[in-house]
Amino acid sequence: MPALLGVGFFLLMGAASLAALLRYSDLPTWLGYLQQPYLWRVVRFSLWQALLSSGISLLIAIPVASCLIHRQFFGRAALLQLFAVSMVVPTIVAILGLVVVYGRTGWLNQLIGVQIPLYGLVGILLAHVFFNMPLAVRFLLQGYDLIPSGQWRQASQLGFSRWASFRWIEWHYIKKVLPGAFVLIFMLCFSSFAVVLSLGGGPKFSTLEVAIYQALRFDFDLNKASFLALLQVSICTLFAVIVYRIAPVNRQDVSLIAVKGYALKDSFWAKLADSFALFCTFILVVPPFLAIFDPVFSPIFMDTLQSVALWKATLVSLQIAVPAALVSVLLGICFGVLARFCMARQYFAFLPSKIEHLGNMILMVPGLVIATGLFLTLRDLGWGFKSSYWIVVWVNAVMALPFVLRALIPVMYQQERRFRNVYVSLGIQSWSRWWLEWPLIRTSVAQAFGYALLLSLGDMGVIALFGSQGLVSLPLYLFQLIGSYKLEEGACVAVVLISLCLVLFYCSSRFIGGVRAHVKN
Amino acid sequence: MNSFSLTTLFSTSLVSLGLALSPFALAKDTLNVYTYDSFSSDWGPGPKIKANFEKECDCEVNFVALDSSGGILSRAQLEGKSSKADVLLGLDLNLMEAAKKSGLLGQHGVDTSAVTIAGGWSDKTFVPFDQGHFAFIYNSETLPNPPTSLQEVVDNQNLRVIYQDPRTSTPGLGLLLWMKSVYGDEAADAWERLASHTVTVTKGWSDAYSLFLKGEADVVLSYTTSPAYHVVAEGEDKYKAAPASEGLYPQIEVAAMMENAPHPVLAKRFMQFILQPGFQSTVATGNWMLPVIKLDEKLPAAFDSALKPAKNLVLPAKQVAQNRKAWIDEWLNATTQ
Repeated sequence: MPALLGVGFFLLMGAASLAALLRYSDLPTWLGYLQQPYLWRVVRFSLWQALLSSGISLLIAIPVASCLIHRQFFGRAALLQLFAVSMVVPTIVAILGLVVVYGRTGWLNQLIGVQIPLYGLVGILLAHVFFNMPLAVRFLLQGYDLIPSGQWRQASQLGFSRWASFRWIEWHYIKKVLPGAFVLIFMLCFSSFAVVLSLGGGPKFSTLEVAIYQALRFDFDLNKASFLALLQVSICTLFAVIVYRIAPVNRQDVSLIAVKGYALKDSFWAKLADSFALFCTFILVVPPFLAIFDPVFSPIFMDTLQSVALWKATLVSLQIAVPAALVSVLLGICFGVLARFCMARQYFAFLPSKIEHLGNMILMVPGLVIATGLFLTLRDLGWGFKSSYWIVVWVNAVMALPFVLRALIPVMYQQERRFRNVYVSLGIQSWSRWWLEWPLIRTSVAQAFGYALLLSLGDMGVIALFGSQGLVSLPLYLFQLIGSYKLEEGACVAVVLISLCLVLFYCSSRFIGGVRAHVKN
Repeated sequence: MNSFSLTTLFSTSLVSLGLALSPFALAKDTLNVYTYDSFSSDWGPGPKIKANFEKECDCEVNFVALDSSGGILSRAQLEGKSSKADVLLGLDLNLMEAAKKSGLLGQHGVDTSAVTIAGGWSDKTFVPFDQGHFAFIYNSETLPNPPTSLQEVVDNQNLRVIYQDPRTSTPGLGLLLWMKSVYGDEAADAWERLASHTVTVTKGWSDAYSLFLKGEADVVLSYTTSPAYHVVAEGEDKYKAAPASEGLYPQIEVAAMMENAPHPVLAKRFMQFILQPGFQSTVATGNWMLPVIKLDEKLPAAFDSALKPAKNLVLPAKQVAQNRKAWIDEWLNATTQ
């Protein structure tokens, strides 16, 4: 029942913010917007680059994930931690990192004298792969976690090669994770805006999000903003529907918990494939990260660490991120519980995937639009101002929901399938189930919590809308510094932010997930 | 004796409780000023202005930091008539008409005759608080032959240029108007020529300027006063503003008070204060822009080289407001060919 309430609350808030925006809409002018050729050019380009970005991210992620599962090597754990953080790197920091590596006077040019055309489609793709390939890897690894140990044992006994095991075992599980990951990354790239503007080279490469930003921040044209947001939602929904239609249903098998340690036959080709995967990682993801950490060696770094404002901002960030992550995980659990409640009942059997998609919908709407809509609603109810902190927390929580769901839902389904008969026959219900399942799902809860925490820590959009003197988060502080020419201090703050993310992610997987989780992920 | 000490204890604790609560009992009025983040930050002019004004107003100043010029206005519009904002500080010349149209602003009643902006100042809603001009900044060590006019920036195909998107940033909009006032009806052709050697068009000033400092471009659109920052704060004098023989387009930042300001008297006083030395003396090395009145103390020498424009190009605010959309479309069409 609480689960239903949670999902209901989510729906209510979503509807409220949408309704507030729609109240300001004016249908006849919408037809006018639809006739602008530029708008359609933008839509076409957004689709194209998002398709490419998510496709490439996944193509690279598959061999990388397989390699990480099968091989132990020095720095593997560190790499995985780094992967977790990549998605929250503030765009401007990531862009500067990419520039240091691939730019005109960058490392690549200095080392081998090759200069790539960074500004244009190449730059956009590089940045998007940097942000999303690691994310895809982590989702794929979760798919791997669902492979029963018996299958690995059998593969080992039968002397499967890496390719055979991929073809006959891994692919079967990966292909269930792929569509969800694909849609998620597609949406992230479709609405990507700061990266596209900075590395795109000019307005030729633009996304719908720019138009939404302009409508809200410069023109305060709620009518136009709601139109564009709806257009974006429609396109993404259409895309998601198509993908899910052709995708295999995410049906979990009754399976045992994965235990690693079965060696497969190694071969030259397997080594080659793994080297390729690692090479891609070390070219695309690691150097920009190293570039971000570069300021550690500058003399300014220590001075920056000593500033009070920095630690105040850190505190504010935590004050926003921790509650947001809690809310997000709670919401995610509500969604999961409701989905599997439906799964067990014949009449509702069609619902679980719908519920899951409902949670993902949120990514299609820009955070700015949600926050604005929510604020307008609350303003009309008479408690606009005092609630701004909670709006920031709430919007951050719902923006992280798709990631939380990706992490939670598969495992929750799996437990349901394993234990349903036991539960029914023994009459075990609600809370008692939690105690039983906790050791089995805590890894996933930890990961979900970690994602939500990191996303809220790195949030720039919503906090910028509601920030004030007392509410300056780390990313906002970073932008203040850069905005006042203090680039190097800004770079140092970015290092602090990213280190904080790493530490918190480690802590959440360690304390919520338990020791085993830490070893595995 | 015992009872006496108990009473003392009791009374002292009462007094200390009273002291602890006194900030609430004698709560001063708080003036809420919406501004952009780098203005209110610790190294910006904000903290000094807060201290200077609080000395004379017996009030408290609270800065609400938004992420951009556009953010200030949209926040006020978002909150509407029930906004707790008293003063909006940091709007751009080109946002004035849009801000007026929102119907949220009141008249300031400040005597602006001392304002030193070229052409004087007569607006009844807005008080200017700092000024400068848009200019292309270059590194004099890597670019020995800098452009001397806007036309050279546009036509020199070897010059790699970074500027900001006029849809998302005020400098970008500034360049749009600069181009319009120099090229008029031929602006579309000029944009096309500029596009062929533009490195990238960024979302905001910070992206553009950081890319430039990383060596990605020869020139970047910024302010005439930018080099002064590098000289004063970093002791670095290789960054220079390129002159433009056609004249420069001004950036004037303005403040306005809200019609429904919760503290109208304080807000009016603050509007007056904007043109006082207590405010103006903090502008140069806090916000890296020029003051709008004549100050007794001299600015740091670095500001002497902040270009005096050959001509002050400025389009009437009404015309800008009317044509902004059309001009942006023109830019879009020309640069996406």
